Parts: sequence; structure tokens; C-alpha cells
Amino acid sequence: MDRDVTVALEPAAEASPRPLALTPGEDLLGFVGAYLGRALLLVVTCTSVLVVFLILVFVVLRSVPFLGGYDLTKFLASQDWRPTADDPSFGALTLIVGSIYVSVAALVFAVPVGILAAVFLSEIVSWKVRNVVKPVVEILAAIPSVAYGFFAILVLAPWLQEHFGFTTGTNALNAALILAVMALPTIISVGEDSISALGRELREASYSLGATRLETVVKVVIPAAHSGLIAAVVLGMMRAIGETMVVWMASGNATQIPHPWWDLSQSIRTMTATIAGEMGEAPDIGGVSHRSALFAVGVILLLMTVVLNVISEYFLSRAKKAAGKT
Amino acid sequence: MNLRTRGALDRVFTVLAGLSVVLLTLVLIGVLGPMVYRGSGAVLFGGTVEFRKMQRDLFKRGGSEALDAEIAQTEEARREVYSLIDTFRKGIDIEAISDAARRINRDFGEELRFKGVATERYTELRQRSRDIRDQLEAAFASQDINEIRTDLESVLQSADDPAFKGTGAEGYFKLAKDFLNAAEQVDLSKHHEYKASLQEVEGILFGSTERPGLLGPRPGGPLPPLAMLHYGATRWDQARQLLHQFKYRQFWVEAEPNAPLVRREEPRAALFAGTSLEPLFGYIQANAEKMLHPRFTVYWQYFLDDNVDSHYFGGVGPEIIGTLLITVLGMAFVVPLGVIAAAYLVECTADNWVMRIIRMSINTLAGVPSIVFGLFGLAFFILFLFPRLGFEPKPCILGASMTLAVLTLPVMIRASEEAIRMVPQSFKEGSLALGASKFRTFVTVTFPAALPGILTGMILSLSRIAGETAPILFTGAVWIGPMAKSVFEPTRTLSRGSYGIAVEDRLAMMVPHNQYGMVVTLILLILVLNAMAIVLRSRVFKKLKGQ
Amino acid sequence: MKTMLVSVLLLLVGGVAAPAETLQIEGSTTVGPIADAFAGYFKTVYPDLQITVNQTGSGDGAAALIDGRCDIADMSRFMKADEFAKAVGKGVLPVAHVVAMDGVCVVLHPSNPVSALTKAQIRDIYAGKITNWSQVGGVNALIVAISRDTSSGTYETFETLVMAGQKMGPGVEYVNSNPQAQARVKTTQGAIGYVGLGFVDSSVKAVKVDQILPTRQTITSGTYPVARPLFMFTNGYPKLGSMVHKFCTFYLTEKGQELVEAKGFVPLTDY
Repeated sequence: MDRDVTVALEPAAEASPRPLALTPGEDLLGFVGAYLGRALLLVVTCTSVLVVFLILVFVVLRSVPFLGGYDLTKFLASQDWRPTADDPSFGALTLIVGSIYVSVAALVFAVPVGILAAVFLSEIVSWKVRNVVKPVVEILAAIPSVAYGFFAILVLAPWLQEHFGFTTGTNALNAALILAVMALPTIISVGEDSISALGRELREASYSLGATRLETVVKVVIPAAHSGLIAAVVLGMMRAIGETMVVWMASGNATQIPHPWWDLSQSIRTMTATIAGEMGEAPDIGGVSHRSALFAVGVILLLMTVVLNVISEYFLSRAKKAAGKT
Repeated sequence: MNLRTRGALDRVFTVLAGLSVVLLTLVLIGVLGPMVYRGSGAVLFGGTVEFRKMQRDLFKRGGSEALDAEIAQTEEARREVYSLIDTFRKGIDIEAISDAARRINRDFGEELRFKGVATERYTELRQRSRDIRDQLEAAFASQDINEIRTDLESVLQSADDPAFKGTGAEGYFKLAKDFLNAAEQVDLSKHHEYKASLQEVEGILFGSTERPGLLGPRPGGPLPPLAMLHYGATRWDQARQLLHQFKYRQFWVEAEPNAPLVRREEPRAALFAGTSLEPLFGYIQANAEKMLHPRFTVYWQYFLDDNVDSHYFGGVGPEIIGTLLITVLGMAFVVPLGVIAAAYLVECTADNWVMRIIRMSINTLAGVPSIVFGLFGLAFFILFLFPRLGFEPKPCILGASMTLAVLTLPVMIRASEEAIRMVPQSFKEGSLALGASKFRTFVTVTFPAALPGILTGMILSLSRIAGETAPILFTGAVWIGPMAKSVFEPTRTLSRGSYGIAVEDRLAMMVPHNQYGMVVTLILLILVLNAMAIVLRSRVFKKLKGQ
Repeated sequence: MKTMLVSVLLLLVGGVAAPAETLQIEGSTTVGPIADAFAGYFKTVYPDLQITVNQTGSGDGAAALIDGRCDIADMSRFMKADEFAKAVGKGVLPVAHVVAMDGVCVVLHPSNPVSALTKAQIRDIYAGKITNWSQVGGVNALIVAISRDTSSGTYETFETLVMAGQKMGPGVEYVNSNPQAQARVKTTQGAIGYVGLGFVDSSVKAVKVDQILPTRQTITSGTYPVARPLFMFTNGYPKLGSMVHKFCTFYLTEKGQELVEAKGFVPLTDY
């Protein structure tokens, strides 16, 4: 489990067959077999990894004609996204802001609920109750995004209009709520894992000092598990940022930045929704075209996930180290 | 802080945490509930006789004497509707009766010539026939009841003329009598309004070129080309909506100036007050059940049947099979690849920068929108790889499942990696100490111990493979198509179907039950597959514990 | 169980039956329903024919025809010059068949007292210059402008015929299909949207554009200002008597026209 241990054991693992096969000649078949097997595994692994790389290369290559031929500052700073106009302009700022905006809004809803639920499952209830609640979380994760999209547009949007007096029901709030529901399973399961990984000693020490459960959770458990919890949140955010179909159906897709900034009742548009909605109709021609611009948006999305990834890796590895120490 | 506040805060916290889980459950119910409720309408509903007719004709199911008898009964009850409408029409559809009068004139002329009547007599009779026709047309066109009476009476004087007895010209007098009867009852100045209203009524009852009606097209008439228009309301809930539409005319009026209009309903019968059509409204309200014979129906064949007219009728059988095929094939690609890659990454490499880059790019795939996977699958597998392997470069099941496999590969690798890493070092050491090779250790010790975690990875990938639409849009899923006979043909799937039925046709608005039915079927299928995997996982778990 | 397994295995291994004549249709979601209806009819007339219909988008339809992935490409717009050039470069000669007409109807929530708008007013609403219904003679309520996605054929028609070079305002919402546009207008009081003629029913109100109400007659005669033809593209003119030929010319028959009408479009001629 711990990396240091693995490294320490590596020589032992290498050495163990040696005493049995004193010379290669004695167990030649086994010797060759082991290497062949290893080579085979390597080939299979390489195929998988290769395909993964190919996709990244695919996205980047397709965006090259655009990134090379279009004014980058305009791409990143202009709010003017008119890909099909006679004189097209590809200003992706609203899309980038939109993606971040809904994801953060989704987290505002999902994080308190998710962390409370994680704490509830790991700290408060018995093993049996936990086994009943867990499937609820797993089912939420299993509902396909088409179904969430349906719900957003046919049930949630009219409901928001009726009960909150919004002029439009497909807006940032709608998308954020649905994304929150979709991010919850990730946040809960990763969060719960990281809280459970803490040793009993910490809690026992806190309780023995007379702290209540609240105080134990807030002052001991959460600080101790904070890297894991942050990783959970980042992973949840990755889920929210990468989600496509749902946002496309729920967010209204207006190319604007909400004004005032906290007004969730306005429609916004995200990068993924733009790619999903426009890719099918964009003509496949070379140069600075609508299609290559969409791939360039895809590259921004990739960069954002890479950054989030680095953050979550950093905190996850810290969490692992922390867990290893206690 | 004193003890009591601390205790209270603590309790508040416990309740809040509990509430979060309650909220979670409520969300689940709130999302699934309405959809399952509406989707269940695809299988459980009040089926009318039209439904059973449709099942017999389109799905060769349940045709029997009992059904024939039922159809005869309902037709009996409907006859009154037809006759009421026909009677009324005679009074108001001026063009139709004028046409009829002209036709009688023509036919009468043919008849005379056929009989070989002498020329003089022929000319005289033709002239009289034309006069009668003109008088009739004048009467039909008139809006003054007195004028009509005089005209028609002069026509009817000829009724007893032996020259017309037993000939086609008798039709004139029938027309004249019918019209006189009808004209006495209706406000003639409203002809056009009546005609328009009647057309609306007929549209609701018998269907139009665009949507089916309550009773279906009148027997004996020409059938429209779309099968969905051959039947009336097959479901009682549909029938009730149509009945409401039939009973009330909806319109929007200004209730107060400068405010949105409000919806009002007016009994349609009032439009026909005092006419021979008025009884129709009472009749239909009273006899709707007799005309349609609604009966609670469990249409379990929904999960087997093919659909007719873009999911207006029928079920999702081919979609289920297509989804299962793609899922099974996709899993067949992703599980071995994922597990082997994970095993290699954990067991055979050290934790160096190559590993880090690999892991990073695997994770980064989570941020690629699924439609990009679809384009990649099309460009790489179908247009690049297939021709080189000797396959036809066309979208097919194989291409779709390969694309989905790539989509879920990261999930599979990550989950398996975690699972394999979690296997206690002591297990492996024990095996190695017994002289087993590394490979043998992995197969007999590490892999079984990691199996529950690997199965979790499978559950996650399975849900995505079965549920994703965008990646297979270009690589093998179609909206309409035959059942696939091999993996080199495209197929329909539930996910593609759910998307299609929501966005592609105006039918979607007419069959919300099928729309939700398809989504719910997809959810159920995923849950069943998941449940199977979860059961398998707990068995493996128990077995492991047993050892 | 065993037979099932065997059949599944057979399926996986490959072609069981001899390949029948196939017809692959791909492209626009607007024209798709017509292709669906034709396919349904062809299935009953030629039971051996294998038709697949996929609805992805006009752009993909063109790409599929160029790649040779389909026999017929449904398109709700004409092919663009670039696409033509690419097709000719690959030895594909696109031939257009106009199968039906469609009117793009401007629709409002039925509670909206406004019943006629001029093209200029509609343009200003979508450009964001008119934001309240009271500015066009309605009640005091904010306008929610709903548009189809910028790359759909419906959008293109609307943009060319109504917007006339003006740019859409930033507050305009986008939905990805006619049913969704209709659903949004139906449930939103201050909404304005545009959909194909087939999607106008009692739940939404079509307005007069420049004093002309969209109907079959006004669209066929060309008096309604926002109408367009719908296309099926083939590679060269199809071989006479082939299935592709029968399919592409089916709209000329009475049955074909009835089907076009049943799907909510306007047949090209009166039968």
C-alpha cells in the first residue's frame, strides 16, 4: 500500500525465483516464459496507453490549424462567439467563464451536502445503515446523463419558473443543481474513503479529552483528512466540468457572462455544451474553421482538467502520506 | 462555551448530517420518481379496443373471435356518431351537396342515353333535370329560409312525375328533403362557421392528416399511409384528453387590459346549439366507454416489440438487444485491457515520471467531452483502422463498442490499479516465498484478492457504456434500422433512442409515455446489470473471506 | 438458454444471412422524420430492403456522403462551397433533391396578446434591442428569446431570412431541437421562439410575420417570408430504378406527399 514499502520489497521479489532456478538453463522455459509474458503484458499495456495518448493527440492536432491561424488573445479574451456568421469570430471567454461558473456553483451545493454525508456515513451511523445508504449513492451515479437531461428540461425548468418567478427555467441554477447531484456520488465516496482511512487513535484521543462529536469532526477529523476531502472536491469538479449532455439541455446556452455575477437565474453556456451542440453540424473543412475552433475549445478543457488533476494528485498524495504516518 | 450549548450544537450537527443523507434520498426519489411514474405508462395503461386492433394488425397478436365481437360491438356504438355527422353535413356542406346534385344530373343523362330514349324526349328530360339542378343549387346557396322553401317545394313537385320514378333522378328529391330538414334547424348565415367547426370535430373524432383522432378513421374510407393514423386512441388516457378537447373548445382571452391572456374553455356543444349535431356531444360523453372498451392492460411485450412509426406504437426490443450487445462487447474489450494495463502499471513498473505522465493522461481523459470520443472513434477506428484490417469502413457495433471501451478505459484502469495496490503485500510475499513465479502469484493470489475492487470498476464502466449517447452517434448507433445480424452492422440502442425520441420528431410530444418509457428502460437495464455485478461482488467477497 | 448463447455467438462471429440490399441515410434532424416515414413505408413494400436512418446533423450528413458512409444525406440547408469542393476532390458529385418545404414559424406562449410582428421587430428582439413585450404592443414582461443552436439548418434559415446580417444578442438562449424549442416556449410565459411548421399546435401560438400567417398555402406560394426547401443529397443522380432512386423520388408520389404532410412539412405540389 505504501510506496516506500513497495520499493523496499522490490529486490526481494526479484530475488525470490533465483534460488530455485540456480542457472537459467535449469528452468529455461520458465525463464523465457516469464520474459515473454512480461513482454506481452507490456504490449497490451502499451496499446491501452497508446489509445489514450492518441485521443489527446487527436484533439490537439485538430486544433492546430485554428490555434496557428487565429488571434489567440481574441480567442481567450473576446466574448464574441459567432462561429457561423459570414465573418466568424471565435471568442471563447464566455464559454470558459460559463464552465467554471456552473462547476463552482454546483460545488457550492454539492460540497456541504457531500461532506456532511461522508461524515455521516463514516462517523455517525453503524455499518449496517451505511450499507443501506451506499446503494442510494451508487444508484445516483448509475443514472445515465440523458435521463438527468430529461429531468432538467421537462421537470426542473418549469418548476423553477413557477416557484421562483424566473423568466427562464433553463439557467445556471438548473445546470448547477443537476451537476451537483451528479458530482455528489464522487465527492461522497472519495471523501468517505479518506475519512475512514484515518486511524481510530485520533478520534479516541479527541473523545477522551471530552470533545463532543461535532468538535471532534470539525477540529480533528476534517483537518486531518483535509487533503483527501480537497481531492474529493476537485474530482467532483472534474466530473462537473466534463459533463456534456446535461449542461447542454439545462443551462440555456446563452453566450453571456451573468451580470450581476451572483445571478444564477440567467442562462449561460459552457465549453462542453458548445462542443457537443455544434460539432455535429460543423462542416469538416481545413483551416481556421468552426470545427477546428471547437477542438481548440477542447484543448482549453483538457488544460483545465490537467490543472485540476495536478491539484488533486498533490492533495491525494499528501492524504496518503498523512494516512501512512498515523 | 458551556456544556449545554456544546451538546446542543453537537445534536444540531448530527441532525444536519442525517438530513444530508435524507436530502440525498429525496433527490434520488425526486429524480427517479416522476420519470418512473411517467415511464410506467408505457407498460401499464388502459388499453382500448383500438390498441387491441393495432396489436392484431401490426404485431400479429391476440386476433380472435372475441376481438372481432368486441370490434363489432364498438362499431355498433359508433354508428350513431357517423349518422349524426352525416345528417348534419347534408345541411351545411354546400359544396358537397352541390357536387352531388351535379353528379346526379350527369348520371341521369348517361342513364337516359343508355336506355335509348327518343331524341326529343331526351332533350326535354335533360332540360328538366338541369332546371331541377339549378333550382337546388340556388336553394343550397341561399341564406333565406323562405326562398329555400319555395325553391325546394317547386323541386319536390316533380317528385311524383313518372318520368323520374325509378331513375337516378330520385336522388334529387332525397337531397332536397334532407337539406330542407337540415335548413329548418340551422342558422343558415353560419354555414361557414359550422363547416369549420365540423371539420374540427371530425379531426378530433376521426383524426387528421397529422394526428390520430379518438375513434380512428371511418371504416371503408381510404387509409392514410402512416400506420399511426390507422387507429383511434389506443390508450384511455389519450382518449380522455381527446374527449376533453372534444367537449370543450379552448381559447385565450384578455381578462384585463395589459395583462397576459387567460385560458378559457367553452362547451363545444354551444357552437352547435339547436342543430341536429347537438345530441352528438351528449351521446359521445355517455357512450365513450362503449365505443372504446378501455381495459387495464399490462403491455409487457413493450420490452420485446419493435416499434412502428418512429416509436409511436410498439416497444424497445431491438434497442434493448442492441444496448446489451454493445455493452457486452465493450466490456469484453475494456475489462481485459484495463486489468492487464493496471496490473502492469502496479506490478512491473516503478513509480517514475513515465508512470506519472501515463496516469496524468489517463485522468485527463475525464475532461474530454464524450462527443470528441465519437469523432475520434469515427476518424481512427472506422475510417483509419477498419480498412487496414479488411473491414468495411462503415459505422457498426464493433466500432461503437471499441469507442465506448476507450471512453471507459481510464475508469477501468484507475479502479483496477487501486484494487491491485490495495492487496496486502504479505499475500504476495507468501506466494513468492512458496516459490511461485511472479505471474503465478498474480493470477492465483493478487488477482482474486483484487477482484472485488475490479468488479467495482466494471460496475462503473458498465453504467457509462450502456448509458452514453454521444460517442456512438457517429460510430454505430442509428435511430432507425434493422436488427443487427453481425457486429459489422449498426444497431439501435436505448441511449440513442432516448436522445432521438426527445429531440428529433414532433411525435415526441404525442407519446410522452414512450419517451419516458425508453429512459426508464435504460435506467432499469443499467440497474439490473449493476445489481448482477454487485451480487457477484458480494459472492466473491464471501468466498475470499471463507478462504 | 443454450440456443440463445449459440445465437449470440453466431451474431458475434459475423454475417449469418446473405447481405440484402441496403440503404443508409444520414444527416439533418429536421429532414430525418421525412426519411423515417419514407423508410417505414419502404419497409412494408420491400421487406428485404435494409434501411438505416441516423440523424446527426446536416454537417455530418455532408461529411458522411463525402466519406461514402451513406447513400443519401439529409440536409436542411444546401451544401456549402467548401463541402462541395471537398466532395468533388474525393470524386463524389453531390446532387440535390428537394423533397419538401418547411416554414420557420415564430411562436409565442398562447397567453401573449401579441399576434403579429414585423421582421424588423423580430430582428430587434433577437438582437437584444427590444427586451420587453410592451415595446411591441404587449404586456410589461421581459422577453425570453429562444433560438435553435447556431449550426442547425433552422437557425441558418432564420438568420439569413430574418436577421439579415444583424448579430444575435448575448441573452438569447439556445436549444438543440425543434421539440425542445417548442417545449420551452410552451412552458415559459414571456418566451419567443421559432420552430418548423409541424411543431405549431394549440400549446404555442404562431404569429403573423409581416402580416402573413404561416400556413401550408402561404408557404407553398412563397408569400410567407421565412420558408426553405429541405434536401436529400446523393452521389451523382442515382441509377434509374435503383432503391436510392426510388427513395429520392418518392416525394413525387401521392403517398410520399401524404407522408411529408403527415410529418408536418409542406409537400412541394398539391396532389
